[in-house]
Amino acid sequence: MTSGTTLSRPGSDAAGLIHQGLIYDTDEQFLAATVPFCLDGLARDDAVLAVTTPANIDLLRQQLGDASGEVEFIAAEKWYDAPGRTLAAYHRYVDQRTGDTGRHRQVRVIGEPVWHGRDALETTEWTRYESVINMAFADCPAWIVCPYDARVLPPPVVADARRTHPQLVTGPTAESSVHYAAPARDGVWHRELARPPQDGRESVMRFGADLTAVRTFVAAKAVSLGMSATDADRLTFAVNEVATNAVQHGGGTGQVTLWRDGRRIVCDVTDSGRTTAGWYLGYLPPSPAQLRGHGLWAVRQLCDLMEVQAQRTGTTVRLHLTL
Amino acid sequence: MVSAYLADGLARGERVLYFVDRHAPAAVLSWLRSGGVDPDAAAASGQLRVATAEESYLASGVFDPDAMVASLQEEARDSLAAGYAGLRVSGEMSWALRDAPGLGRLEEYETKVHSVFAGRPASAICQYDARQFNPEQLRMFEQCHPAAVELDPWYSSSVLCIAPAFREGERVLQVTGTVDYQATSHLAAALEQTRQWPGDVRVDMSALDFIDLAGLRVLVHAAERLGEGRRLRVMNLTPMLCKVISVVGFDQHPALVVTAPEVMA
Repeated sequence: MTSGTTLSRPGSDAAGLIHQGLIYDTDEQFLAATVPFCLDGLARDDAVLAVTTPANIDLLRQQLGDASGEVEFIAAEKWYDAPGRTLAAYHRYVDQRTGDTGRHRQVRVIGEPVWHGRDALETTEWTRYESVINMAFADCPAWIVCPYDARVLPPPVVADARRTHPQLVTGPTAESSVHYAAPARDGVWHRELARPPQDGRESVMRFGADLTAVRTFVAAKAVSLGMSATDADRLTFAVNEVATNAVQHGGGTGQVTLWRDGRRIVCDVTDSGRTTAGWYLGYLPPSPAQLRGHGLWAVRQLCDLMEVQAQRTGTTVRLHLTL
Repeated sequence: MVSAYLADGLARGERVLYFVDRHAPAAVLSWLRSGGVDPDAAAASGQLRVATAEESYLASGVFDPDAMVASLQEEARDSLAAGYAGLRVSGEMSWALRDAPGLGRLEEYETKVHSVFAGRPASAICQYDARQFNPEQLRMFEQCHPAAVELDPWYSSSVLCIAPAFREGERVLQVTGTVDYQATSHLAAALEQTRQWPGDVRVDMSALDFIDLAGLRVLVHAAERLGEGRRLRVMNLTPMLCKVISVVGFDQHPALVVTAPEVMA
């Protein structure tokens, strides 16, 4: 691992993650941090990926000149699709560049999340996504800088950037964020699930060891609520994974509740076990060799949003699929 | 596979006929011996008969489907009368590649020969070596056979059937029904048995209704255990399941090859 960089790298011998927020008001501020970040990375033979707005991609290309050919650019709109899928895509990127088959010692990422057009639920979950990066990539040789454009973003989104990033960047230097709140810190990132409807729009089914009935129920209800057969297959697969956990590790029985909320199909799977499952369940990449723990990692990627809430009476996993 | 079929028949007390063409009769006996069966006693008692194509299909010098079917019917009747549990027949069909007289009636024979086996404790495998027949011939022969599956299922329940089969000249493990957490171990056990097959192992999922992630993991595990550069080829998996395999990174295992059904043009 490289030690000592142009940009300050606290604990410079550490091989793990560096996750920094870049809050900027002008194009110059954006470039003052990102251009040296890229050039320094290329000089050290790091893999460099820039996921940002088309305008920022243009700015970076102009400033980097010939070096821009060695940077991989991806439009943020395409990349920030769903929190589980985006996190997994970054994980694959890091793994392919630095793993056994990769040729780089480190990857550098400029990752500017998309906030416009998100509703309250999506904004909250994307904020938690920014937070869980600290946990999911803790041991990865990755240096991630997340730009936040204060000219256009709502102030609460900018304020949250100070809570989700351990460090904040100004120009070529970085300092610790005094507002940083670690993802596992008690209560900070907890959010009560909105109550499911109780007016007859919801379909409820209790289950035990036989999950055949659960799959039939979910597939039929999802289609009757307007879902395509392919998406219903995807939801059925996801629900089956969560229900399997309930049967095998969550007290043996559970309940499925399914309803439509505007443009989303929402499905709760509640088990009867007492667990202390974190809200970030399914966000942490399983190692290829481990025998369990792939289920919720897959479910996070198959659904558009997934929420987890542990209570004394059981854990609820809520799945959202957009129609 | 064929020697297992023959050995199984002998063990069940069935009469077994084998018509060689590519191999010498002695070779068949030695397959059975290496499979742990004593063919000599069976041959001496008449339970096992190994004949050549010239002595059977072409006994009259001309291939005559009606005569062949009649002779098989007689064999079936005699076998049952002699107290055997059934009749099992297998024939190497490569003689049909030579310009034998009456060969034009082969398709007719394959259709008629069903009458010998239908409704009786009798069965047959017609062996067409996929390397020797052209695809059009193979398709035709396949259409003549009621099912390209000839062995007993390795596992069968009300929701899942796992059976070895033979299709287009290849062994294949056919998985029909549902693999959820209650059935994962049965799939694992069946895949363990396929390790004895030579070369790549093919698994056909065209009749699969559902499989969960633990079931897909069993496929990865089986692929890793094949070794020697062999691959587990999982065919006809739905695109959704192929996607699941890729999102969890199971597609990173070089020994696992997963394909969706071919889209009909």
